[in-house]
Amino acid sequence: MRTEYPVPLAPFGQQLHTYKDCTMAKIGVFICHCGENIGAKVDCTKLAAAMGEHPGVAVAVDYKYFCSDPGQESVKKAIRENNLTGVVIAACSPRMHEATFRKACAEAGLNPYMCEIANIREQCSWVHTDPEMATEKAADITRSMVEKVKRNNKLKSIEVPVTRRALVIGGGIAGIQAALDIANAGQEVVLVEREPTLGGHMAQLSETFPTLDCSQCIMTPRMVEAAQHPKIRLLTYAEVVGVDGYIGNFHVKVKMKARYVDTESCTGCGDCITKCPNKKNSSEFDCGLGKRTAIYTPFAQSVPNKPIIDKANCTYFKNGKCKVCQKVCELNSINFEMQDEFIDLEVGAIVVATGFQVQDNSVYGEYGYGKYKDVINGLQFERLASASGPTFGKILRPSDGKEPETVVFIQCAGSRDPSKGVRYCSKICCMYTAKHAMLYAHKVHGGKSNIFYMDIRAAGKGYDEFTRRAIEDDEASYLRGRVSKVWEENGKLMVRGVDTLLGKPVVIAADMVVLATAMVPQPDAKDFAKVVGIGYDEYGFFNEAHLKLRPVESSTAGIFLAGACQSPKDIPDSVAQASASASKVLALFSKEKLEREPVVATNNETTCAGCWGCVLACPYNAIEKKDILDRSGKVIKRVASVNPGLCQGCGTCVSFCRSNSLDLAGFTEQQIFAEVMGL
Amino acid sequence: MTIQEQYKTRVRELLSSGTVKMVIGYKAGTTADRRRPLFIRTPEEADQLLLDSACIANLSGYLIAEGLLSDEKRVGIFLKPDGIRTINILAAEAQLNIEQIIVLGFDITGQEVTALQGETAGDFSALIESIKEGAPEALKNPLIDQLEQLNPKERFAYWQAEFSRCIKCYACRQACPMCYCRRCIVDCNQPQWVNTSSHTLGNFEWNIVRAFHLSGRCVGCGNCDRACPVNIPLRLINARMAQEVLGSFDHLAGMSDTQEPVLASFKKDDSETFIL
Amino acid sequence: MSEPFEPKIIAFVCTYCTYAGADLAGTSRLKYAPNVRIIRLPCTGRISPMFILKALQKGADGVLVSGCHPGDCHFTHGNYHARRRWTVFRALLEFTGIPLDRVKFSWISAAEGAKFAEFMNSVTEDIRKLGPFDQYKELIKETEAPATL
Repeated sequence: MRTEYPVPLAPFGQQLHTYKDCTMAKIGVFICHCGENIGAKVDCTKLAAAMGEHPGVAVAVDYKYFCSDPGQESVKKAIRENNLTGVVIAACSPRMHEATFRKACAEAGLNPYMCEIANIREQCSWVHTDPEMATEKAADITRSMVEKVKRNNKLKSIEVPVTRRALVIGGGIAGIQAALDIANAGQEVVLVEREPTLGGHMAQLSETFPTLDCSQCIMTPRMVEAAQHPKIRLLTYAEVVGVDGYIGNFHVKVKMKARYVDTESCTGCGDCITKCPNKKNSSEFDCGLGKRTAIYTPFAQSVPNKPIIDKANCTYFKNGKCKVCQKVCELNSINFEMQDEFIDLEVGAIVVATGFQVQDNSVYGEYGYGKYKDVINGLQFERLASASGPTFGKILRPSDGKEPETVVFIQCAGSRDPSKGVRYCSKICCMYTAKHAMLYAHKVHGGKSNIFYMDIRAAGKGYDEFTRRAIEDDEASYLRGRVSKVWEENGKLMVRGVDTLLGKPVVIAADMVVLATAMVPQPDAKDFAKVVGIGYDEYGFFNEAHLKLRPVESSTAGIFLAGACQSPKDIPDSVAQASASASKVLALFSKEKLEREPVVATNNETTCAGCWGCVLACPYNAIEKKDILDRSGKVIKRVASVNPGLCQGCGTCVSFCRSNSLDLAGFTEQQIFAEVMGL
Repeated sequence: MTIQEQYKTRVRELLSSGTVKMVIGYKAGTTADRRRPLFIRTPEEADQLLLDSACIANLSGYLIAEGLLSDEKRVGIFLKPDGIRTINILAAEAQLNIEQIIVLGFDITGQEVTALQGETAGDFSALIESIKEGAPEALKNPLIDQLEQLNPKERFAYWQAEFSRCIKCYACRQACPMCYCRRCIVDCNQPQWVNTSSHTLGNFEWNIVRAFHLSGRCVGCGNCDRACPVNIPLRLINARMAQEVLGSFDHLAGMSDTQEPVLASFKKDDSETFIL
Repeated sequence: MSEPFEPKIIAFVCTYCTYAGADLAGTSRLKYAPNVRIIRLPCTGRISPMFILKALQKGADGVLVSGCHPGDCHFTHGNYHARRRWTVFRALLEFTGIPLDRVKFSWISAAEGAKFAEFMNSVTEDIRKLGPFDQYKELIKETEAPATL
């Protein structure tokens, strides 16, 4: 049970796990007065004398300012003259000058990781009043660091090779922007979209705020540009099903779902679509307001403009008879036998831009969504208002095709509602509702729009001006309050709400009700996050590494975020984040190899029991299971193996490890033990 | 037919049909109330098998003996519910492949031995579920309550007296099926986290570390307790820890072969009333 | 004893939050008791219960452990793992008679310099009241050798 195998250790591992002989240590201790900052409270001369007596200390000196040029020079000189094996700078916080002194050590020929800082300013001289006790504490701190540095390892920064090819997941505006930015800088991109066409939600929109330019007019040229870009490999109707590896070296598995149409030979002539007899399928692109055939392209400007067969609704797949499309196709592109295929990709960086969905409003039974045909959501209104939509841009009621004379818009239908919807603000609804009211006013003259709102949140360039225009020029009537019920009466939708500014209940007889639905994560976002290996919040939006300082990076090195998959965003924000992600990718690709601080965990494979607690505990999926083979290739045992490319050096695995097999460079068990015992 | 004879027949069947290569059971020990492990490789060897209320040792530790399961052949083993939970943990911690284990389940109430229906560890999940339901009650121990009534000084003195007897023989470790590490932390001397001398400080450190490493993993089989030559009530500490993980994290060790180890997982809303 | 008892306290803190909070207390020139010695670690996840035992062996009268608030961990989950470990280890210490007034846990962020200073003061005062950890020190004495490296 407890036999040890003669398994060779990795050189790096050996270094950490073996006994450190400290008897030959020659440590230099440099005590900085920091002018009066330290010197006024801590007796630096006395401290230097005490340190000089400590075993293993070859030099102990004090000086006014060690961070100054002459100060640093004196440290370098001492290192060279005394062949120091380690250096302790007793001065300010390591957060101030650790890098400075490590560099100085390296310049003097000492491994930079053989330098430690004893913090006797921020955590001693500045916070204590009694000079004697401050000096005593400073001595403890410095001695503890001397004991630590004796056990430091000569670490080398880690080099990781980089595959200069990016994967962008999601072909909406964010994904397209990121892909184009990376490709235009000359790097290869694979753009994966799970729908049959690029475009995402932006392609569905009618006009965009705050300029009211046509969404498709600005979107479709970008789609075409992405599809035709020599550096971009486009995979539509494809899903990322597996991500392995680490920054610079990801292995990705992509499932190419069967389209039943050979995209190589298909020219997109559309004969099959015209002839398909199965025409009554609800169009996803038109949010159920239009119909499409069983073989279809989602919309006229789809990229690629090659149809797919909707297997669930195709007459042939259902009944075994039909094949009209195959008969009319002159190029023989229809293949009912087609199967899903899998492609393996090697990429160095990943941009996740998987977008959002609109919340299912049927949770609001009181608003009648799903019950009354003329209660629609914001995205459906976009389709009605879109020139390429089911009504060719006319605002018509889905129930009877008549122009609505009065429309009620209900904002925050789902957002900012912890009881039924989501707690957060969806950010875009105030703006698009104002836009809807304007479009309605432009298209239906004399139409009356009423908007129930909680607050108008219109922060952004030209945004507040835009909502003011809706109110002042297009006569949108804003009512501050919530709607409690929508019901049908004499062919009208009766909307009961409250106008809190007047303090009165109101009932409006409307012809159409538009819900400003919450933006929610993709329904499979959490599962997908696990596939990719990134974090997500309570809702399923992907987590950034730091909300303020690293907003476009995921917590997994080499994986970046763009667009509404991270949080609700409008188009300008999505595009900005996509470009930011692209620049992060390009920075990563600017070198052949990555260099990282070597504060990473390593495992002693000889003593590892293979319980995999560390694998589970690691926040970065940096620990893998590794087979130890004998000469014949038979697996003797499986041990944990830390991938230094992924490890971020938190040390959670080390404290978990019962057999003390894992250790963390820079904060090894021996170092910390020595620090405690040195106090 | 007595239950012992039923199981003998079952063991012979398992071996003669080639379903298993070995069955681990009990045979007579050096005294009337002691039992020794029996490793049955042929149907004939099953004659020595004993199954009575003295068969209380948790045999599951033998399953992870070096090389026993590496040929991927099956092994049968006599296990009480605590033993079944043990192999679940061992499987969850990748120490064995649960599919290789044929469980000959039994339970002891007073002097009576009853058979448990099932063949693989998974067959006993309903039973283990009911153990979890009863665990808050079952883990109660008057001595634990008594100790908790004392002030820290008195409690420290109690354990000081108990641990002062420890001779660092590590029989508790050897007897525990959960102590499968290739190198125990106590044998790690760079750095020497645990004092190896058997002075009370060293004993104190060892026993605390042992109990910590078993937190959320101990099923309370009592192997350690029985193995201790100086009768330190080790089970008491383990039971207290089991109470803690059950109360704080709703975790009972060994529920299934895929259960996440309690200290390698977390919930964002874990209780933290003690953190200032 | 005529002089007030000066307890020896060892603190294990993460570098991203509590260590930075301690630095902030310094840059803000807050004053607090000088009894605590800090050991810096990358994350609370790195703080092994073994450290606490060794601090006691080194003669500490009190031990502090502190890191980022839940949700703020630089390494996303390190403090959640640490919290579970502490819950269990703390119960173990309590059951074996180590007074919990001597081993304290806290979340102190990089912005909470004042909280850090207050915490240092209150802990020092509490442990001063408890007096030296004589029971443990007796065990150390019994080993007939001081704690060695």
